Amino acid sequence: MTPEYYILIIGYIFGFYMAWNIGANDVANSMASAVGAKAITIRQAVFIAGILNVVGAVFIGSHVTNTIRKGIVSTDILADPHVALIGALSALLAAALWVSFATWKSLPVSTTHSIVGAMIGFGIMAGGFSVINWAKLAAVVMSWIISPVFSLIISFLMFKTIVKLILIKKDAFTSALRLSPVFIGLAAFVVVLSFLFKTPLGKTLSMDTWTALLVALIIAGLVGYAGKAVIRRFTASDQDDSTEQVFRKIQIGTSCYVALAQGANDVANAIGPLAVIYFLVNTGTVGAKVPVPIWLLLFGGVGIACGIGMAGHRVMETIGTKITTLTNTRGFAVDFAAASTVLLASKMGLPVSTTHAAVGGVLGVGLAGGIEAVNFRIVLQIMLYWVLTVPAAAVTSMILFKVLQLFY
Amino acid sequence: MRIPFISMFMTSPFEGLLEHAEKIKECTWAFQQAIECHITDQCESFEEFRKNVDNFESQADAIKRRIRGHLPKGTLMPVDKFELFRYLHEQDKVLDAVEEALDWISFRSEPGIPTALHKDFFLLVDAVLDPVEEMCRMVAEARKYFTNFSEKQRRLVKDIIHTLRQQEHEADKVEDGIKAKVMNMQIDPVTVFHMIRLAETIGSIADHSENAGDMMRAMLAR
Repeated sequence: MTPEYYILIIGYIFGFYMAWNIGANDVANSMASAVGAKAITIRQAVFIAGILNVVGAVFIGSHVTNTIRKGIVSTDILADPHVALIGALSALLAAALWVSFATWKSLPVSTTHSIVGAMIGFGIMAGGFSVINWAKLAAVVMSWIISPVFSLIISFLMFKTIVKLILIKKDAFTSALRLSPVFIGLAAFVVVLSFLFKTPLGKTLSMDTWTALLVALIIAGLVGYAGKAVIRRFTASDQDDSTEQVFRKIQIGTSCYVALAQGANDVANAIGPLAVIYFLVNTGTVGAKVPVPIWLLLFGGVGIACGIGMAGHRVMETIGTKITTLTNTRGFAVDFAAASTVLLASKMGLPVSTTHAAVGGVLGVGLAGGIEAVNFRIVLQIMLYWVLTVPAAAVTSMILFKVLQLFY
Repeated sequence: MRIPFISMFMTSPFEGLLEHAEKIKECTWAFQQAIECHITDQCESFEEFRKNVDNFESQADAIKRRIRGHLPKGTLMPVDKFELFRYLHEQDKVLDAVEEALDWISFRSEPGIPTALHKDFFLLVDAVLDPVEEMCRMVAEARKYFTNFSEKQRRLVKDIIHTLRQQEHEADKVEDGIKAKVMNMQIDPVTVFHMIRLAETIGSIADHSENAGDMMRAMLAR
């Protein structure tokens, strides 16, 4: 066996470890509001998140994988397969180390940011500062600010709409039922659109924008009315909180939607560098654009699912006991905002963190006065770690790169 | 801390508010027992009841401090933070009035309340207990309103506030009756002063409950 194969094996291990961490830590983002609002149980959350993360990773995930790899760091550094191999491995190791450290020290870092920082560190070591595409990096940094703000605005508007159109009404339950197709349809619309525009499967259908919009609209309408029928069938109208019950059913759907978006978005963090190593080892070169094989996405997805399965329980239990003030209407607004933001951002090719989208969603509902008490200032703390993560992962990656160069 | 999503959620101040209101309710029951004990004359445990009330008061105080201490800058709530504090302040004054009334009695435990006034004071105590219980209900219902924002619920809370006003008015009438009666009794001036001030202090329990209702009305405003 050549050293390349050892590197590939190490790559697999650490790629899997990164995926595992994403599953263990970030599952809270997709399932927290649903579990907190008691729409689903912990077991259900673990199950749903596990399966849908795999599905999202495999069917929607490929787009972002490319962007992280070739967007911020120039492809010039990949010209030398030797350097590229060490670089990809050190980036992966650095990100994994930083995430482990963060977990150990209980720091709120994002796996997305860790990998971006690590890639930058490798880029600087391999080609100096000139290989960094600063404009692209600035766009990514901007997206970290834009995504929570965007999510905040969506959830704010969504919650205000729910209050104005449903909660305030004398017969809130009837209003909720009457409008449920709209809310379900909206969620379905975004899912279908992102599916049609982004996935390999959707692309083979090769629809133009207007056809796609029309198809999404029709499917959204159908799903919306089907959802209403299901909700009517399974919800009693005479309960005190029957309005919340309606949204509880919808929330089961939206939390699936977030898990799907999360799988699609986050799988790239784990297998992006792994894909580079894989191609270098197998073909000897790596081009500007490398299709990520489906089974590699599946590998990442399964890694995430393992993380969820093994550590998800503990996280969920914390959520269930700590978040008691979140009701289903709020949870729906948060979920919807977070998932829409993540899907939209990953459509634009920006490595957005689901953490930020979820945080923005909660703050939006909080600003709308929907939650009994939410700490706005935590955002500043979180921001500090966003800023810290990138250089920390970059420096780790640089050191590892030097060390690995000594050996290989 | 690892999961920012969780660390955003804080303990709800409404939980504390409700807890505080219930402590007051319990406290007023002890207060009623203390007054009854003092009036009926056959009981020697007035001091014990008074200690009991003091105990409740310090527990409620701890809750109040906890609420105030756990709302840092940047806390998002359905209501304005200072409105909430003003409300809490007023709710706390109910408790202070209860304590003060018992203190006032203890300053001159002999000869006690004149027999002719026994019935009136029983009535007054009953009259001021109603608004306290109503206030407790108001907090619970208001909390529900801030969760479901339903117009029906808002109306319910407003109705409770309205009831509070009426109950305060009733208590006022009883209080005025006592004062008029005391002024026209041919007794020593110290007892007159003691009784007048006692009636006023007990009456202020209802006043503060009503004020709390008004503060709640401000929080309900859209």
